[in-house]
Amino acid sequence: MENNQNLSKKELYEINRVAKKNAAETAAKKKRAKSAIIWSVVGLLVVGSVFGLIILANRSSDPGPSPIITTAVSPDDLTVGNKDSKNILIEYSDFQCPACKAYHPLVKQLIKEHGQEFLFVYRHFPLPQHAQAKPAAYASEAAANQGKFWEMHDMIFDKQTDWAEKGNADEIFRKYAEALKLDMTKYDEDISLPAIENKVSDQYKSGVANFVNSTPTFFLNGKKIQPRSYEDFVKLIQEANG
Amino acid sequence: MDRQRLIVIVFIVVSFLGFLDASYLTIEHYQNATLPCVIFKGCEQVTTSAYSKVFGLPLALYGAAYYLFMLIISVFYFDTKNEPAFKILKYVPVTGFLASAYFVYLQLFVIHALCTYCVISAITSTTLFILSFFLTYLGSQVDISGQRT
Repeated sequence: MENNQNLSKKELYEINRVAKKNAAETAAKKKRAKSAIIWSVVGLLVVGSVFGLIILANRSSDPGPSPIITTAVSPDDLTVGNKDSKNILIEYSDFQCPACKAYHPLVKQLIKEHGQEFLFVYRHFPLPQHAQAKPAAYASEAAANQGKFWEMHDMIFDKQTDWAEKGNADEIFRKYAEALKLDMTKYDEDISLPAIENKVSDQYKSGVANFVNSTPTFFLNGKKIQPRSYEDFVKLIQEANG
Repeated sequence: MDRQRLIVIVFIVVSFLGFLDASYLTIEHYQNATLPCVIFKGCEQVTTSAYSKVFGLPLALYGAAYYLFMLIISVFYFDTKNEPAFKILKYVPVTGFLASAYFVYLQLFVIHALCTYCVISAITSTTLFILSFFLTYLGSQVDISGQRT
């Protein structure tokens, strides 16, 4: 304090000014440090969570222990591939489901390239929220009665976006039947057969009994599988072959 | 002021949740092309409908961008108390709310299917809108006390 008294007013003013300046600088530094911490935390959280989500979305989802379903292929079943193979790949599918459409080319390629190694079974699982899924299933069964199920199946999937949201899907399917040169009198008779309706509903029920709750659901030798790519399919088939 | 700080923190958290939700849907869109169709759930129907894309980009991506923007602005305001940032927090959430209201309408009355992720987004954007109300209310309180001192 004595020193202070010896100082001139100007010197006192200067000391105060420097002290204030230092205090302001420390405060500014603290503020900058705080901002740096806040933004680093936010940045890390955002980037980290995006990576986490990518991994989450991409994980080869573990099907977990799944009930072994009956693999018995009924004479009614629509099959393609090697009838003598011990490997049976069953798909529960819905013609109006975009994911089933997305899997369609994979399955087609698998049958083309590895068709000798398994028997492929297609079963109808028309989901209640898809208004045109049942009519599509009936149309494919009517084509099956004339031995052209797979041709119709391909056409319905390939052109899914043309009919999925339309009220006149029935007429569109009829045009596909014409394009496949089906006997149209027989097609028109068959399409409303109770036998076809029952078959589709029986297959749906068999799916429910096997805990199918989404489409497409694949079973390889009775075990639920969740392939995410063509390579996954090939790997699973080869593993089954041992 | 403390209550305002609290609301801004909630704002940050909700924006982050909205961002997570919309990002997940966006990533799913680009990685899997399609979600599997689950019985009685309509997500795939909603996310593949004609309404799910605007200018060729999935709506979920716009949603993710909106939430990220709100997240950055709310953190920026939390950090700097910047006045224009405060205005954005007060007035922009109404657009998110209106957009969500329109999407819920589309899902219920046009597509006839509800997508869980979209419903979560509707909830977060509505929450942001409600929070923006509180900010407006508290903001004016602060202004008044500021004038008095």
